[in-house]
Amino acid sequence: MAFRRFLLGAALVMATPALGAGDTAPANKSFTGATANLAPGDAPGQWTRQARDYANTRYSPLSQINKANVGKLRIAWTFSDGQMYGHEGAPLVVGDTMYLVTPYPNIAYALDLSKAGAPIKWVFQPNPDPRSIGEACCDKVLRGWAYADGKLIYNLLDDHTVAVDAATGKEVWRTLLDDVTKGPTMTQAAFVVGNKVFVGSSGGELGTNGWFAALDVKDGHIVWKALTNGPDSTMLIGPDFKPFYPWMVGKDLGVSTWPNDMWKQGASAPWGWVSYDPDLNQIYYGTSNPGPRTPSQRPGLNLWSAAVFARDADTGAAKWAYQFTPHDEWDYDGINENVLIEIPWKGARRKVMVHFNRNGFAYTIDRATGEVLVAEPFGLQNWAKKVDLATGMPIVNDAAHPIVEKKVENICPPDIGVKNWNPSAFSPRTGLLYAGVFNSCMDLTNHEVRYIPGAPYDGMEMVRHAGPGGNWGEFIAWDPVKGKRIWSIKENLYVWSGAVVTGSDLVFYGTMDGWFRAVDARSGKVLWSQKLGSGITAAPMTFLGPDKRQYVAVYAGVGGGAGVLRRENGFMPGGNTLYVFSVDGMGIGNGTTQLVSHATAAAPISVPPAAAHN
Amino acid sequence: MKYLILVLALAATPAVAQVTAETANPLAGKADAIEAGHALFGQMNCAGCHAYDLTGGMGPDLTDNSWQYGGKPGEIFHTIAEGTPRGMPAWNDKLTQDQIWQIVTYIQSKHAN
Repeated sequence: MAFRRFLLGAALVMATPALGAGDTAPANKSFTGATANLAPGDAPGQWTRQARDYANTRYSPLSQINKANVGKLRIAWTFSDGQMYGHEGAPLVVGDTMYLVTPYPNIAYALDLSKAGAPIKWVFQPNPDPRSIGEACCDKVLRGWAYADGKLIYNLLDDHTVAVDAATGKEVWRTLLDDVTKGPTMTQAAFVVGNKVFVGSSGGELGTNGWFAALDVKDGHIVWKALTNGPDSTMLIGPDFKPFYPWMVGKDLGVSTWPNDMWKQGASAPWGWVSYDPDLNQIYYGTSNPGPRTPSQRPGLNLWSAAVFARDADTGAAKWAYQFTPHDEWDYDGINENVLIEIPWKGARRKVMVHFNRNGFAYTIDRATGEVLVAEPFGLQNWAKKVDLATGMPIVNDAAHPIVEKKVENICPPDIGVKNWNPSAFSPRTGLLYAGVFNSCMDLTNHEVRYIPGAPYDGMEMVRHAGPGGNWGEFIAWDPVKGKRIWSIKENLYVWSGAVVTGSDLVFYGTMDGWFRAVDARSGKVLWSQKLGSGITAAPMTFLGPDKRQYVAVYAGVGGGAGVLRRENGFMPGGNTLYVFSVDGMGIGNGTTQLVSHATAAAPISVPPAAAHN
Repeated sequence: MKYLILVLALAATPAVAQVTAETANPLAGKADAIEAGHALFGQMNCAGCHAYDLTGGMGPDLTDNSWQYGGKPGEIFHTIAEGTPRGMPAWNDKLTQDQIWQIVTYIQSKHAN
């Protein structure tokens, strides 16, 4: 009975925000004074890159949908793409066209938003090598796609980047970047700035050697490519490279911080998000866990795993790096998004990035120098006592070290972190970030493994369990200056969707048990919820249609790493439907103004009945 | 050192493919074969895809009764030896026929029926 009472209590706190004392800001006032450069400054109704802007804010200035009418959001139309692997990307809207790309086999669709029901303009089937299916660690996903120069550009699971003519759906170029039979795949969201598309490898659990590359948008040729482990020359580390902390300064650390030649299978794959900083002409991206996941086999810092890089966007020359988790023992990675903002700091303005690491610390880092200004826990963690801001090093809790062939209980968080790749959003109006987070721990037994090309190079055996409260997930608002939560909403399962925040102070996110929610960005009050046909592990977005009406769109198709909870109550079956919402579900051809189509027209029957079935 | 010896032992004798779907497992139910198969399941990184408890992850669950490529011992043998078009690597150049049967025996030992 006590257990039942506990469950009831847990149910009551779900979707009820907990507001910290004294953390209210009146309407239109920022909580923190943080702002962002929203370059390139697309038209408000457009969404032409995954995070909308170079800074990765996922902020839309649109405000037609607001706190007064959000309760009337209804489905305007839907689109099923037929693929059952996890759906993780956000649709792009360029002009009157929406672009979607499915998980493997990475089929692209262009939908005509100017016509009733958004019919298909073209379909592109790239037919990637099916051998890639067995090499993708965490479902056969694709986290996003890019639009530039009249092309839709994206990665294929079999280690190609492809560009498709956005008007016709015909292939323009396809560039091979790695050998999928050896383990690497490509699931990352291609990111375009100017005439370059930036792409990175996946395969942190496959004994790969990660790389990051810039391709030419016109013809796809490789402009530069930088390994993430190895000699400085292969990593484009030269005289411009100036890490802030001395322990990351030295020659060929990508070799000498590994035993023997283990860097060659040291993974550190940059499978996450890329940001671009027009102020400094730098790009930023993170690297994955080191391989193998069993740390006893690779003594050393294992640079440059679990790190963030700043590079010159034109030449690729490394400017600085920072390793979040030295000698990563728990698969905490470093690939999560880096959101570029400006904050008030000790009487001045600082250009910073905010990074929610899987290890449970949210870092606010000076993006010119790599100095860590703030590193505070944003959720449940016990592996580190703190991050020492004098050295940039975490102080590791002795009880958290894994042991080979022995179970170590209750390490928090587990491998999948306090937050995974699911991207956060930043509002320049509230000065806060919004993120789906996890509340869980693991019992970990490590095994030594050896490298077999094309097979997992892993070694972690774990049982994950929910943290205090029994809820696996939360959705939080975060102050990046003080390093603290403003409010949080508890959810039953991991909140593994992206977020979008609007000019009317609405935040949208989805849950693994299929709820799509709109929340007051200031108070955390849930204003609207809609149950969808599958769990949500994709990023929502919002746009203006050709009818000048604001829509909100999100894929429901649970999968990817979120599959670790597939045996939990409430975890929904997979799906593949894009849901598009508007106030009252209105849209072109919808509702009482329904278009008179072939289906509804009372036309004289001149066709034989049998032909109508064709 | 243990691995080195194993690698040397594996270098020769590719699995011979006279095994058919109907071939009985010559090691069925033998405790030492189950133990050897268990060790190989970890050493050959099978657990990386199918999990240390065989319930799947990156690859399919091996404890249920749903077999994409057949669940008879000879069929499981072939799946391990030759791989599958959907990502399972072929192991016939890395394991002897006996070792493949040991892994089959271990997998069978995890089935209730």
